[in-house]
Amino acid sequence: MPDRSDLPPIEDFIREVFEENFELLVAESGHTISAESKQAALNQVLLYWRKLREIAERVTDTEVHLTLPNQETPQGREYTIEGVVDIVREDDRVIMYDIKTHDADYVRANLELYKQQLNVYAHIWQELRQQPLDEMAVIATDFPHEVKEALSTPDPRALEMALAQWEPVIPIEYDPAHKDETIFAFSEVVDKIESGEFAPPSLEVLESFITGGWRRERFATRVCRNCDARFSCDAYRQYAMGRRRVAERGMVYFIEDDPDQEEWRTASLDASTED
Amino acid sequence: MSNFSDHLRIITGNTPPPIERLWAVMKFTPNDAQREAILHVNGPLYLTAGPGSGKTRVLLWRTLNLIVYHGVEPEKIFLSTFTEKAAKQLVDGLRALLGLVTNFTGQPYDLSGMYVGTVHSLCRRLLTDRRRFFADRHRPRPPALLDDLGQYFHLNSAWEQIVTFAGLHPLDAAEEINAIFNSQHPSLSRHRAIENLRRAFNRFSEELLDPKEIRARIDALSWGEFSHGDIELLLNLYEGYRKTLEDGLVTDFALLQQEAYQVLESFPGSGEVFEHIIVDEYQDTNTIQERIFFKLASGTKNLCVVGDDDQALYRFRGATVENFVQFPQRCQTYLGVEPRQITLNINYRSRSQIVNFYGRFMAQVDWHSDDGASTYRVDKEIHAHRSDALPAVVATAPSPPEVACQEIAVFVRRLLDEGKVENANQIAFLYPSLKSRQVERMKEALEAQGLQVYAPRAGRFLEVDEALDVFGIYLLIFGRPSLRGMGRDVEDFRQWLNTIEARAEQLRHADPRLAQFIHDRQAEVQRAHSDYATLLSVVSRHHWDLEAPYNIKRMKRALYNAPGLSETGKRLLASAYFDRIVQKRAQEGRPLSLNYAIRRATSLDWNFLDLFYRLMGFEHFKAMFDRAERFGDEGPVANLGLITQYLQRFTDERVSIITANLLENGKLSAIFFNSYLFALFRLGESEWENPEDPFPRGRIPFLTIHQAKGLEFPVVVLGNLYKRDRGAPQIERLIRPMLTRPDGEPLDRMTEFDIARMFYVALSRAQNLLILAHFRGPGQHVSPPFRPLLSDPSLPRLRDIDISTLPEARLRESEIPKVYSFTADYLLYKKCPRQYMIFRKFGFVPSRSQTMFFGSLVHRTLEDLHHELIRRRKLAANTHQEGEKRDA
Repeated sequence: MPDRSDLPPIEDFIREVFEENFELLVAESGHTISAESKQAALNQVLLYWRKLREIAERVTDTEVHLTLPNQETPQGREYTIEGVVDIVREDDRVIMYDIKTHDADYVRANLELYKQQLNVYAHIWQELRQQPLDEMAVIATDFPHEVKEALSTPDPRALEMALAQWEPVIPIEYDPAHKDETIFAFSEVVDKIESGEFAPPSLEVLESFITGGWRRERFATRVCRNCDARFSCDAYRQYAMGRRRVAERGMVYFIEDDPDQEEWRTASLDASTED
Repeated sequence: MSNFSDHLRIITGNTPPPIERLWAVMKFTPNDAQREAILHVNGPLYLTAGPGSGKTRVLLWRTLNLIVYHGVEPEKIFLSTFTEKAAKQLVDGLRALLGLVTNFTGQPYDLSGMYVGTVHSLCRRLLTDRRRFFADRHRPRPPALLDDLGQYFHLNSAWEQIVTFAGLHPLDAAEEINAIFNSQHPSLSRHRAIENLRRAFNRFSEELLDPKEIRARIDALSWGEFSHGDIELLLNLYEGYRKTLEDGLVTDFALLQQEAYQVLESFPGSGEVFEHIIVDEYQDTNTIQERIFFKLASGTKNLCVVGDDDQALYRFRGATVENFVQFPQRCQTYLGVEPRQITLNINYRSRSQIVNFYGRFMAQVDWHSDDGASTYRVDKEIHAHRSDALPAVVATAPSPPEVACQEIAVFVRRLLDEGKVENANQIAFLYPSLKSRQVERMKEALEAQGLQVYAPRAGRFLEVDEALDVFGIYLLIFGRPSLRGMGRDVEDFRQWLNTIEARAEQLRHADPRLAQFIHDRQAEVQRAHSDYATLLSVVSRHHWDLEAPYNIKRMKRALYNAPGLSETGKRLLASAYFDRIVQKRAQEGRPLSLNYAIRRATSLDWNFLDLFYRLMGFEHFKAMFDRAERFGDEGPVANLGLITQYLQRFTDERVSIITANLLENGKLSAIFFNSYLFALFRLGESEWENPEDPFPRGRIPFLTIHQAKGLEFPVVVLGNLYKRDRGAPQIERLIRPMLTRPDGEPLDRMTEFDIARMFYVALSRAQNLLILAHFRGPGQHVSPPFRPLLSDPSLPRLRDIDISTLPEARLRESEIPKVYSFTADYLLYKKCPRQYMIFRKFGFVPSRSQTMFFGSLVHRTLEDLHHELIRRRKLAANTHQEGEKRDA
């Protein structure tokens, strides 16, 4: 990319549009997120740029909306499936990227779900739109624990090393065989949503391990521990009782050794106005 | 641009099928007027659309026609809707339809550049759109926007500055201001004064009034009940207010639009930026909005307005229905052309008896001007598409309210028992206001039949059961604030504090675990408080300066060893993480103060929103979630979701972290209860209307007629046929002499018109059955246009209705099929259906976890980043080409 002195550096550009988008979203949605989450969101974009600059600079079509209209559920509801992807077209190759704010370990552990999803997209792209496609991949922008740790140390080399080890691009195999099943499963979910079926996953699911990653974690740790609504959730409570986790049982409700707690404290103090 | 799309078609070899083919695929058969409107392309279009006439579909297909068949780029379209929800539905629908086209032709469409949203959000977008509205690409940072509640808080906190600016003394300013509006018995309440000013200021801004210009002609105008001095004072206060906004880099809704208008005025090409301006709900626009729309259309003249003057509801927000009624003349004035007028008058919603009834209702009012020469209503006649002529409008027997309410409740019970509606949320009760005794009576009558209602806006939201219980427990934990002052509001609030305290005590009694939880939280508050005193005493012993930088070497050990410091306090002081931050900030030249270190060490691990989610774990609240998860009653969970929005706002704007300095002398409790909740309490809920509320299953919704705008229900009960005509609102009498635009409806008739329009909206919401509560007896009234209709002997009464003849309410196919996202819907539901319900369906604001907001923020910014990189690449390529040319 040529250096043009009249253009602001990309990181400044990111900070600026990030702030604008934040305000617009607040206006649109009527609510906001904590100072800490906001900072984490900005970090995701900045680190995406640092880590995946090569891909970012080659994107030719961004936020392409792929739609599969005229779907009908088993209970007779009409609906449309929508997905959003980014496309890189090069001389002889077309690559489809699905950018997710999930972390790479979660994507790898649930690869089947993502494979189903991208293969439906591939179907729309190739068969309905008649466009060529050579490769597909998920980009997982939620950076791993090591990067997070490195961000809070003053040493810039730590971040460089952590970034070098991070593998956020997960290739997805082209396999259209199960496309119709996926669409049918989607239709069933639409019926469940519309008819009001919202029970949490079973205890077995919570106890199951999510493989890969910097440490083996159960679904309950990875998903539920990050969910504010866990305290009132039957499945999580059964899980917590079964694990005899003192912190979650009995009377102690606020986790003492949460590594994120100090960060939360910093971000909240930075944002505090009433003094 | 049509060359471009033709070009693409040649490349792809695929031309879109004729639009009729798409209609067939989507099973849409437009009537003649709809077809004509969809296919209209050039010049202004005046689309009058009666209730249920398929307006949204027409808007959607017309936009598609422009994009697909006339090569209009989406970013050249400006489409303004009344709510964000309506905007989202339109975009979703458009995406689905364009996706269909793309699947035929292979040509994709990118809607991200299209301007679609409420006028407010579009003005905001415009003010940040460097590329299109700022010649030198340089724009000042737009000020932060205050919503209604934010504006109230701003007026309160900038009070002294504003009144002093206008030459008043802060102590008696409230009384002097209130005296303008009620000289006989001026209130002393600052709250009342703020409300009076807010109304006046917003209207000044919406009417683009310039204080200097008004002052210049003040003597020439006659002000009726207001004196010249009154007007002078208001203008001065308005100027003071605007100055405080500028100083604080904030703005309000009305001034935001003014700013956008000024940008358009000063930007030379503003009339050509968009090829098509489309405005929905045009009857509810105000003066500044009208000016913006005409300005944007001044080059292309493609202004399409859609609306129904009979459904104009928002005069109290400065809307002037004349903008719509007189659109043809205004078009002549501003654009120099006559608009094409198309009337959508076939109603697809209601049974024919309902349509006939509201047509006759409107005919009871004389809409002609006093001289008979013109009319204040657009001439129209609505026809029902549904042809059955069986009774569909019924009234109760004329009887005292208790009797009539009971008759309705019994009937509603039967409707449900006999399966004429699938769910209670298909029966809506509509009222001019939910703060009335009639609403209470009806609620009681339904509850006596074992039916539950959902009425979060009846009375105050803070008075719904879930709010009382949650805030009561907060009161136990943080202590009851001392409340000074007098007056009815204060007394009511004191009573509210009593109620929540008593309810929380009961809950505490019933659940020992909850009692223990409350006790533990109190202990933590106490601990932080005493640690704070302990640490401060170390500071004073060493004669340290609290504002000086925190020095780990010198101070940490002494603080850590302070006698009596709790384990928690020690842990927070000893934190290695904190030490790193201290060093980092010192290196960056922004050292953290000793005061910061102490506040940090005495801060709690949880804020107001964290506390909420923990409370939900106790049986009383948990049971509410359990029911909603399994097809049951969703009312309480919907209310809890709203509570998180209030708590989030408090956490975000006031207290993001609870530090011990806030716990001194009950300061925190005073901020939360006396300042924040009391303001919400006084403002009532009209200021906090949320039109996107879902109607929970299993409950009968009670809505104001305003909230029902745009909605439809199989069964509608109009629970009160009376609204008192108090004459023109005071603000109209104040503003009228200042206006230079053509006069609107006469002051002595506007309220009669407004009341008729409001009831018209209510009557036209019903699909299958419209039930009227016909009250008679001492103190009971009925608004005049209803009277002849009620005394018509052919009007069926409830007792005569044979329920079996009623059509069953079926899931009516909505105008636009819903769009489900693979990620935000399918995958989220697959991960955890319960999370989906809580955060996506009911909009709970999370405290710690990531949400859709987070994802949207990252995705939008990445999208902008990619666009910028693509743009820069093109720019570089052009520079490169130019260079080569030069070299050659």
